[in-house]
Parts: sequence; structure tokens; C-alpha cells
Amino acid sequence: MSHTATPNRPGSAGLHERIRARLDRVTDPELDESILELGYVDAIEINERTATLRFTLPTAWCSPAFAWMMAVDARDELESLPEIDQATIELRDHMHEQEINEGVNDRLPFADAFPDADGEVRSVRATLDDKARLSRQYVAVERLLAAGLSAEQITALTPADLRFDRDVDPRMEGARAAIAVGDGAFSVSVPARPLHRYLRKARDVGYAIEDDDPLFLTPEGEPIATEEFELVHRRGRLARTNVTGQGGVCEALNEQRREKLDRDGPVILEAN
Amino acid sequence: MYQHQGEDVFVIDGHIHMWDASEENIKHRGGEQFIQCFYDYHTAFTPEERQRGMDDYRKFTPEDVKRDLFTNYVDMGVYQPTHLHEFYTEGFNTVDDLGETLYQEYPDRFVLNGRWDPRDGEAGLKELERQKEEYDIKGAKVYTAEWKGDSKGWRLDSDEAFEFLQKCADLGVKNIHPHKGPTIRPLNKDAFDVADVDLAASSFPELNFIVEHVGLPRLDDFCWIATQEPNVYGGIAVAAPMALSRPKKFSEIMCELLYWLGEDQLTFGSDYGIWDPDWVIEAVMETELSADQHAEYGVEFGLEAKKKLMGENIAELYDIDIEERKKAFRTDAISEEFGLGDSYDTAAPADD
Repeated sequence: MSHTATPNRPGSAGLHERIRARLDRVTDPELDESILELGYVDAIEINERTATLRFTLPTAWCSPAFAWMMAVDARDELESLPEIDQATIELRDHMHEQEINEGVNDRLPFADAFPDADGEVRSVRATLDDKARLSRQYVAVERLLAAGLSAEQITALTPADLRFDRDVDPRMEGARAAIAVGDGAFSVSVPARPLHRYLRKARDVGYAIEDDDPLFLTPEGEPIATEEFELVHRRGRLARTNVTGQGGVCEALNEQRREKLDRDGPVILEAN
Repeated sequence: MYQHQGEDVFVIDGHIHMWDASEENIKHRGGEQFIQCFYDYHTAFTPEERQRGMDDYRKFTPEDVKRDLFTNYVDMGVYQPTHLHEFYTEGFNTVDDLGETLYQEYPDRFVLNGRWDPRDGEAGLKELERQKEEYDIKGAKVYTAEWKGDSKGWRLDSDEAFEFLQKCADLGVKNIHPHKGPTIRPLNKDAFDVADVDLAASSFPELNFIVEHVGLPRLDDFCWIATQEPNVYGGIAVAAPMALSRPKKFSEIMCELLYWLGEDQLTFGSDYGIWDPDWVIEAVMETELSADQHAEYGVEFGLEAKKKLMGENIAELYDIDIEERKKAFRTDAISEEFGLGDSYDTAAPADD
């Protein structure tokens, strides 16, 4: 990943970091991976208090609904930064780039930008979020199993048993979290990022909200009985293989396309 | 015939096409987008030295198909029609395209599948009868995301589709191949959703449902349905080419399929002409699971499983006697033309 450092502008390196952290949360909804990680972002241009993000998808015919979600999420994440008043999104080389760019930048609802589309974005997003929740659960639970927790202990966990270190961003490499086990009798230290990623998605979907809710759930959203832990975990693995497998298809398409378009990325540029 | 570690592997390519996307045949911009999208898939996975030019890719003639399949390890091909009449004046890849050409000359080398669309109503049922009568079809490809008028797709579990499934059962068209692949089209309605296979499969236990492209990117939904319905199979076309450039991802997908469905429920497809079969077959046959994968999944992907995947399973679905075909292929016209007869000779099992 290239990065145009601007050492003579105090504070701007910090802004770049925070832009990256924000965009790290913008995922391709089908692959549950960040658009930065996936290499979709061509450039982010910062001009005073506005930002422009340009991106290209692996094919010109990728689902417009997915493209829409990524564009809206990127706009909202960028605008959540105090330094950015307005973000403009520019999807490039897509068969519906005009509808998407105008719709997202004019803040229209999807149905107005695509009057022909039947169905709406919200339910598509909810379905994909729920799959991402299960896939992330698999990754998080693998960490807990590796740390020595039993099926019984894992299925009994609640959000109250999970503590992230307050001083460290849980998304950072090396950040740790503590899991309280046996009614708080002892605690186990695990990598924070997979747990944090899981909890955020679970909460997006509406699970693991209250302190005494179950932390992990079945694909259907029920608490996990200890005897069904194994099956639920295997279904989580399957959800994970699905997203990474499809990720392989998209990655191959993306690599080939970027080569064809001669497009590297991403670069953060300062216009002045 | 393909050879692997000194053993013969009879390959029935379960997913082949012979399409016409020439500019003269395109009547809607969707037709151009569709073939361009196929071409993206072609170039993304095909080794550079085997990539076709776009002009070469637009249209496949019977001569192309014959040569590309039978000189590239394929012993038999299962033709899967994709009509797309909204996009292409004469259709993209129709039942009659193969039925009136190669299938006439080499009926033993092909399985010709029919095709139906419940939105065609009475006329569609009549057409299905015609396909049965004319070609004695034993299977049909269904494309739930096909456009028709204002409609951008249909479901297999609808009343209208059930009428056609009943017709298939009555006619002995027992293998239904729903295409469930990557989301390209339509807009946001997910017409490749696999959930509709569930009710169709449990309502028609006398039919087999071979889900093409194993539902990717809905592998999870597909496997979960398939574990519950004994008449649901997975066709690995589109997953298969990953065996070359993304071997780890391919083997993970195979592990899941072997774990949830088992080695008897899987069929191979190159998806020709999206890709040529030779390198796809080689890459799948060369796939070895890692020690970690063996431990994690408890499945095997050895020669026996590979032979089932490459031909034996689909032979069972279509009542093909592989040994008999091998005998016939020693001297059939295709073997004569391409000098393949000897490869079937060595395969003869001892009769005495």
C-alpha cells in the first residue's frame, strides 16, 4: 500500500491514519472484508475540509446494490471524521456508476436511484450482515478454543465477560482482550481484533446487546446448547469458507482488471 | 482419456456450452455485457498462454466444441443450454444449437439437456414435450435469473415452477440443473438465492437437483440444504478453475463439499467455453488436501473420490455405463478423427 507522507503538515499523518481506520470498517458486504484490504480504493483526495474517494470494483457488473452499500458506507465513515465536512464518492468503470454516484452524492434513497429495482437494499444488507456475523463468530471462537476455553465455557459467555483494553485500539495488531471465565474466577487473554470484529457485527444485526445476552449464537440467532456447539461451529466454518472462497473469485477478477486498467491504489493525496 | 498416476479417469464434463454472442446476434445491451462478463472470468482464471482473444470467444462452432473437448481430456460432455432470448436474437446457447448439430452426429459423446422457464406457461410445457420427443432429454438446465419482459427472475419453489417440475417427473426428465452462481445480474434482487431449491427438492424426491456452481457465493446455504435433501447434488463449475490459481481456496471449498455432501454427491464441470477443460481437469486432479485439512475436516480427496467427481457420479445420474462407453469409444468417429482409440484400449478391464 503506498502512502504519500506529508511531514510538513502537522497532524495530517494522524488524519491519514484515522481515514484508514474509518475505511477499514467499510466492507464489501458479500466478502466481509474492507474495501481497502480488497484493493478496491484507487485514491482518496483531501481538499481543505472535503474528501473525494475513488474506487473500482472487480467487474463492471458487480451487484449495484453492493456497490451502493460500499459507496454509502464510505461516504458516512469519511464524514464521521471531525476534519471532513463533506465526502464525495466516485465509483469508476461500473455499468451503473452514474446512478450510484449521483444517488449517493445527492443522498437519495436506493429506490429513487434505481426505480426499476425490485426489493430494497436494507434486507439484502441484513442477510449479508447476518452471514458475516456467523463467519466472524467462527474466527473469534477459534481464538477462544486456541486459548483453551471449552465448548461449555464458550457457549456460556455474555458480552459482560469480554473486556477490551481501554488504552489500545482493539483493531490494532497486538491488542488484547480479557475473557472472564467461571463466573469471573479467572480470565484468559486473547487477541482483541477478532473479538472486536465479531461483536461489532453481532450488534449490527441486533445480538449480544445487553450484558447478560449470550455472546455467541446459532445461525438462526438462538443461544447455543453445549451439545450443539460443534455443529454450530462447523456451520460457522462453512460461512467463513463461503466468504473467503467467493473472495478468491473476486480477487482474481480484481487483479486482472486493475492490470487491464493500469490502476494502482490506494493513495491518499492532499490537493494543496 | 485422462490418466492420473497410471490410472484411467473417465471424464464427463458436466457443464459445457456452445454459444453465439457474435455482434449480429446481440439485440440488447445486456447481451454484450453478459459476454464481456464471461470474458472477464475467462481472463481472470485462464493461464496467460491459453487465453483466447475476444473475437475468438464470441462464438463457438460445432467444430470448435468437438476439438476443444475431445482433444482436451473430455470423454463426454453434458450440454447445459442458456437461452437468453431477451439478449440474443437467436438465443445464446440453445437446446437446438447442439441438438441439431453435434448431437446428431455423436449422440454417445454428449448428454443433451433441455431447458424450461415457468414464465412460458402452456407454450413452455409444450416445448418441454418437444425436447423430450425430439432428443429424449433426461435432464434440464434452469436459469432462475433469466430476464423475461419486466421479470428479472423466478423461483423454483413457485406454483408455476412446480407445474414444470411435475411435467419433468412425468416425462422422466429426472435431473434438474439450477444455475446458482455469482451475483452479476439482476440489480438487487437475488435471483440466484439457493433457498428455493430446498422445497423443490423435498417436494419432488423422484427428481435430482444438481446445483450448478455449488451456489457460490451461497456455498453455506447450499451445503446446509444439501445435507438435508438426499436428492441434491453440487456441480463444481466456477469453483473448479480456482484449483489452479487459488489452490488453497479451492481445496477448502472441496473440504466443505466433501464434509457436508460427501463424495457421491458432487459433479465436475469445466464451464466450457468460459474455460477450456484441459487445465481445469489437470488442476482439480492434482489437488491434494493438506495434513491440516485432513485433520480439520476428516475427509479424503484421493483417486476414488476424484474419479467419482470427474465422471462416475454424473454417469449414475444419467444411466451411463462407463465401461460400455469406453469400449464403444475405441473405434467411434471421434476417436478415429483425433487418434484417441488407443487411450480407451488400455482402459479395458479384464473380462475373464
